[in-house]
Amino acid sequence: MSHVDDGMLHAYLDGELAPAEAQGVDAHLAQCPGCRERLEEERALIARAGELLALAAPPDREVPPFRAGDVKPPARLWWQVRQPLAWAATIVLALGIGTYLGRGFEALREPETAADAEPARPQALETPLTPERARRESRVTVPGATRKPPAAPASVPAPATPERAEYIARQRAAPVAARAEAPSAQADSVSLDGEHDVLRGPPISVDSARLLLGRDPLAVPGAPIRAVYRARQLGYSAVVIVEQPLDSSTVIEVVNKRASPLALNAVVVAAAPAAQADSMSVAERRRDRGRVADSLAAAPVAKAAARPLRRLDDLEVQISGPLPADSLQKLRRLLQPVKP
Amino acid sequence: MYRTTYRALVRFLYRKVWDAERAEDLAQEAFARALVHKPDNARGWLFIVAANMARDDARRAARERRHLTLLTAEAQESNSATDEALEVESDRARVRAALEDLSPRDREVLLLWDSGLSYDEIATQTGLARGAIGTTLSRARRRLVQAYEAGKSGKHVARG
Repeated sequence: MSHVDDGMLHAYLDGELAPAEAQGVDAHLAQCPGCRERLEEERALIARAGELLALAAPPDREVPPFRAGDVKPPARLWWQVRQPLAWAATIVLALGIGTYLGRGFEALREPETAADAEPARPQALETPLTPERARRESRVTVPGATRKPPAAPASVPAPATPERAEYIARQRAAPVAARAEAPSAQADSVSLDGEHDVLRGPPISVDSARLLLGRDPLAVPGAPIRAVYRARQLGYSAVVIVEQPLDSSTVIEVVNKRASPLALNAVVVAAAPAAQADSMSVAERRRDRGRVADSLAAAPVAKAAARPLRRLDDLEVQISGPLPADSLQKLRRLLQPVKP
Repeated sequence: MYRTTYRALVRFLYRKVWDAERAEDLAQEAFARALVHKPDNARGWLFIVAANMARDDARRAARERRHLTLLTAEAQESNSATDEALEVESDRARVRAALEDLSPRDREVLLLWDSGLSYDEIATQTGLARGAIGTTLSRARRRLVQAYEAGKSGKHVARG
């Protein structure tokens, strides 16, 4: 095999090569020191680019409850309506119903905007959840909502304030993602997405998971595997989440993380603002160092201590779910590799 | 799907409109439209719609000369450690400038990847061949890091 080009290396490091291609790259790397060196350079580059993009990530806020068309600020209203308006006006002129412009335009606007009208009309949106809308909503949210226990459906049949009720239902669903060390923490402050620092990607097959991790992913034996997701987190070269329902209302997530071979210390040093240290007070410097360490690769390690964590060479495995910490600890001991 | 994709979508949109609330609005709206259209591949569809909305949004903002105020919303909401907030903000601005240094296609691919899309999903969305994604990403990442470092050494602002 000839040398591996940059694109191939990136696809390889991103875990996006087909198994056969990945094996080809493996075989070449095994006998080519030059490409191995480039592999490490590209790995560092990918990590650095990821860090930079993380600097420009949106502030982490709670995911709002899903509503079919939120009430829009008035500024939005006019531009949403404007294009259909222009259309309608053109048609009206073409038809030459000049005198009935007002009425004709209204009549034309209705069908024109039927598809977009819903999000654009505040009055329509503030009406309680009608059965029709509830049905539509559930059709979209429920099939994909693999993370929620089935016991907390989003489509609560509309009580007095349906949106609020739905919100509460979601918050009840939150413990699925709740941190293991605080299984019954106040539902309000529990993040809906659990691991904020883990960016969850698309579902993948167990085989791909194996390839990404370079070993068998761990899972709770006996519980069915509902889905496997790839995920990403700074400081790890591969993250795989195995989702396993224990019963109708309990979903366990086993997070398999392959530690990045990139030295963690090197990352911290690279980001420390050493050149600016002269003009900084000691306190500032201390705070700064703390922040850098917090924001970079040291964070997963520090946090992991509080969570049920199992370590196998370069693989870290965490488990979380709506169970007391000691149950999770027990489950953690049960974790077994998923054999092909 | 809503929760995971919502975050990914906000992450993607934020790097385009650079206003967290605007990004959240647009993400909500993309979902609202998905409810109406019920696309088969909702995830891919959402990103396409979001990209279009972000582009329209940028055009409109330019037309109205209503400059989106950069990051003021977060600055108020984040904790009172203003020094730190400033620091974070200047980092963010540098990354933003570096991103704007990329070609539109490279930037799009990089942002989609960083929002959690797979090569297949990116290929579908951008129309690029799947085999070209790795090359595009390698170029985009290299350019981003170079542009960021150049920006950093270029305007070395003293602290304090």
